Amino acid sequence: MAEVRLKDVVKIYPQVEKDKHNKKKNNLEVTDRGVVAVQQFNIDIKDKEFIVLVGPSGCGKSTTLRMIAGLEEITDGELYIDGELMNAVAPKDRDIAMVFQSYALYPHMTVYENMAYSLKIKHMPKDEIRRKVEEAADILDIRKYLDRKPKALSGGQRQRVAIGRAIVRNPKVLLMDEPLSNLDAKLRNQMRAELLKLQNRIQTTIVYVTHDQVEAMTLGDRIVVMKDGYIQQIGTPQEVFNHPANLFVAGFIGTPQMNFFEGELVREGDKYSVRYKDYVVELSENKSRRLADNNVGSQSVTFGVRPDQMLLGEGGIDAVVEVSEMMGTSSHLHAKLDDKDIIVIVPNNGEETSNLKNIKLSYNGSMVHVFSKEDGRNLEISK
Amino acid sequence: MKDNKPKVKSISYAKWGYIFIIPFFLVYFIFTFYPQVLTFYNSFFENFRDGLTQIGPRFVGFDNYKALLTPSDSGTIDILKYFGNTIIMWIMGAVPQFVIALLLAVFFTNTRLNIKGQGIMKTVIYMPNLIMASAFSMLFYTLFSNVGPIKPLLVQTGIIDQSFDFFFTTISVRGLVATLNFLMWFGNTTILLMAGIQAIDESLFESARLDGASSTRVFFNITMPLLKPIFVYTFITSMIGGLQMFDVPSVLTNAKGTPNRTVMTVIMYLNNYLGGSNNYGMAGAISVILFIVTAILSIIVFKTIDRDKG
Amino acid sequence: MNKKNKIASIQLTLLRILVYAVIILLCFLCLFFFVMLIINASRTNNQLQRGFTLIPGGHFIYNFKNAFTDSSIQIPRGMVNSFIVAAGSAICTTYFSALTAYGIYVYNFKLKKLAYTFIIAVMMIPTQVSAVGFVQLAYKYGLNNKLWVLIVPSIAAPAVFFYMYQYLKATLPLDIVEASRIDGSSEFVTFNKIVLPIMKPAIAVQMIFSFVAAWNNYFLPALLLTSSDKKTVPIMIAQLRSADYSKFDMGKVYMFILLAILPVIVVYIFLSKSIIKGVTSGSVKG
Repeated sequence: MAEVRLKDVVKIYPQVEKDKHNKKKNNLEVTDRGVVAVQQFNIDIKDKEFIVLVGPSGCGKSTTLRMIAGLEEITDGELYIDGELMNAVAPKDRDIAMVFQSYALYPHMTVYENMAYSLKIKHMPKDEIRRKVEEAADILDIRKYLDRKPKALSGGQRQRVAIGRAIVRNPKVLLMDEPLSNLDAKLRNQMRAELLKLQNRIQTTIVYVTHDQVEAMTLGDRIVVMKDGYIQQIGTPQEVFNHPANLFVAGFIGTPQMNFFEGELVREGDKYSVRYKDYVVELSENKSRRLADNNVGSQSVTFGVRPDQMLLGEGGIDAVVEVSEMMGTSSHLHAKLDDKDIIVIVPNNGEETSNLKNIKLSYNGSMVHVFSKEDGRNLEISK
Repeated sequence: MKDNKPKVKSISYAKWGYIFIIPFFLVYFIFTFYPQVLTFYNSFFENFRDGLTQIGPRFVGFDNYKALLTPSDSGTIDILKYFGNTIIMWIMGAVPQFVIALLLAVFFTNTRLNIKGQGIMKTVIYMPNLIMASAFSMLFYTLFSNVGPIKPLLVQTGIIDQSFDFFFTTISVRGLVATLNFLMWFGNTTILLMAGIQAIDESLFESARLDGASSTRVFFNITMPLLKPIFVYTFITSMIGGLQMFDVPSVLTNAKGTPNRTVMTVIMYLNNYLGGSNNYGMAGAISVILFIVTAILSIIVFKTIDRDKG
Repeated sequence: MNKKNKIASIQLTLLRILVYAVIILLCFLCLFFFVMLIINASRTNNQLQRGFTLIPGGHFIYNFKNAFTDSSIQIPRGMVNSFIVAAGSAICTTYFSALTAYGIYVYNFKLKKLAYTFIIAVMMIPTQVSAVGFVQLAYKYGLNNKLWVLIVPSIAAPAVFFYMYQYLKATLPLDIVEASRIDGSSEFVTFNKIVLPIMKPAIAVQMIFSFVAAWNNYFLPALLLTSSDKKTVPIMIAQLRSADYSKFDMGKVYMFILLAILPVIVVYIFLSKSIIKGVTSGSVKG
């Protein structure tokens, strides 16, 4: 139903005198116009796409969402919904709906009234309102609570009402601001699955904000990783996971975190290898080709290997296991490698891992990510 | 940023802030602020009605203030006398008001005493605060006047003489004013101080008691110091309210401040200038003096509360 | 040990008895005069001349009729006038104070801080200070004897604003306002349909307080309302005092006083709980 396009969108908060001495949190850039919360944000969101903005707190993801909603002024740049410039359009005329982190249900209204409110404002006929509210209530399985006040509902039920209130009007764009963060872990997993089903049903464009990378990976058609107001990478979950654009994305996406090593990238003709102390691993053909395409020379680099790609074996780098956590299908080994903490995931094949002490670690050349020491950029990706 | 590009107009809610506060400020400036300025302005003018002739307005500088502060024929400076009356009557009511309120607040909040029926007691003692002051005073007048029911009772029991008149004796009129003020305000003060004590962390009382402190010790070492901001706030607002004392003494003495103007308050004085002769000049000067005194007291409140907060 | 315990418990009991005695005495003092008022309002002038008794006189209706139809003190007229002023003030004060508090709390604008500071700064200025100028203006423009002149100024009530502001800060999450915006309501509709209902407890309490304050107000109305069909109740009560007292039917006088305070007492009987709660929540909490 709707495409959303952000072009060079910038948000600057004018600096209040008292904040200047206060905490200078998050490394946000400060210009003479104020604190830059979002920098030059560009994206084309396709119709019916599920976009997830993810990043640590203060990265600008919520601010971006609120600018799309019209709750926050856009300092610079342009916002288009369905090709129409929206900067000066009030939220009520943008045909968007939003689910708030706190749910923001109207405490003095029943569930029914909460869901019907936006339709009532549009002067929709009463019976049509009833039909729509009941339809949405059925999708979310909250029909039996329609006469209750929000106070009388559990967290999970309130969450459903908040979603119901948003979908009841068939918005062009559905915005969600950390909707699951107030739920307990079990409920969160359940709601995550339901959100996917919901999107299939209502077929609308969704922009979803979260700080939880698991939510981002499982829900998003595409993920936008943000930090300090800058977009770090936009891509499908596979792209972001397999080809992180830089050190930050590599470290942020994936649990447990990727292990990083300070080593050397060595180029011999069109062949590349990474060296850590005496251990040298030749990179795969694909990786070497991309590096060569970018004309990358021999240099000191930071390279990373995900914990599940570290191999236990006879040869490789020496490490000492400090703790071994049995997780069921695998074990997490927390090990010390030259004063660095690393994690290795060993699949559970029936062997005891709790007595492992001195281990030798190796990795496959196709699973190594190479990052520039200068700016943390993934060297495989052209500038 | 890109300054060469025309800035796209953006949505802003700031204007709604102004729209929502406009009625308040508009009304404030027309109906309160402008009259206040006019009051100050008037205080520098001679402007009153003498019988049917209008005198002034004529600029006289500080003459009105000088007139206020000049001793009259009898040698007293009227406004100081009236300030004195007001403060004496306020103190006569406020001292018992705060002592009783403090005691009640401590009793009510004491978990060991465990006083029952607090709800109904609070309801009863707060009620006089809502009663129309002029009607309450009129009731007192009818009850205590020569033809009222109380005097015969007291004469019979020999407490007073038949010749005694409640409204021709300074101490008894002042006493009635103070009693009315006490009755009207001690419930209010009790409730405020109770809330103040309840806001103190209960564990402080418990640990002090475990340390072996007696009830009086706990009161002076814990309750009072921590209650101080609220105590000072209620005390000074009571004083500011006391300075504006009008309805009670005015109705009790039929606006005359009898006997011998010993019950005349500052606002009654102001009212006499304003009501009778429309003497805006003198009334303005009295208002300005009242304003200055109130401002000083208010600053003391804010300073005290601020200091205790930081 | 046992003895010590016994002494302590006796001390506590004695203290408790003392405290109850003091409280009961004070409650008696608060109620005594009103009981006397009600009893006396039921007695005829003749009965009253004979001295005080605790037995009601049985002429309550008689006195009521007399007071209600008195031609010099038109108490029904006064009660209607007082009600107009009190109800008008109560509605204006609460609605506009809530509106102003909301405006300053929710929106960000350049003069926000200044507006807030200004209102707090003028909160303590006594009403009498503006009275001189106010009376002068009212007479100049012929607005004395107009009831609305007493109502409109209550739109700007700094103390009520402060109370509403504190209440909003404690109870209204900004998310709710934004949710309403997204749901499509305009800023005014959001205030009237969403925010006002959330503020209902605060509005109720302040409505009662401002109604009572306006009902009881004597100083300014007495200076402005001079024509007999505009007078409010307190003015009429004060008039009783200045009239030639000895000629009055005392039963009627008591009835006048009772009628003056009765509406407030009735309100109080029904709402005392929330009123007392309101006393504390309005004060500066430090």
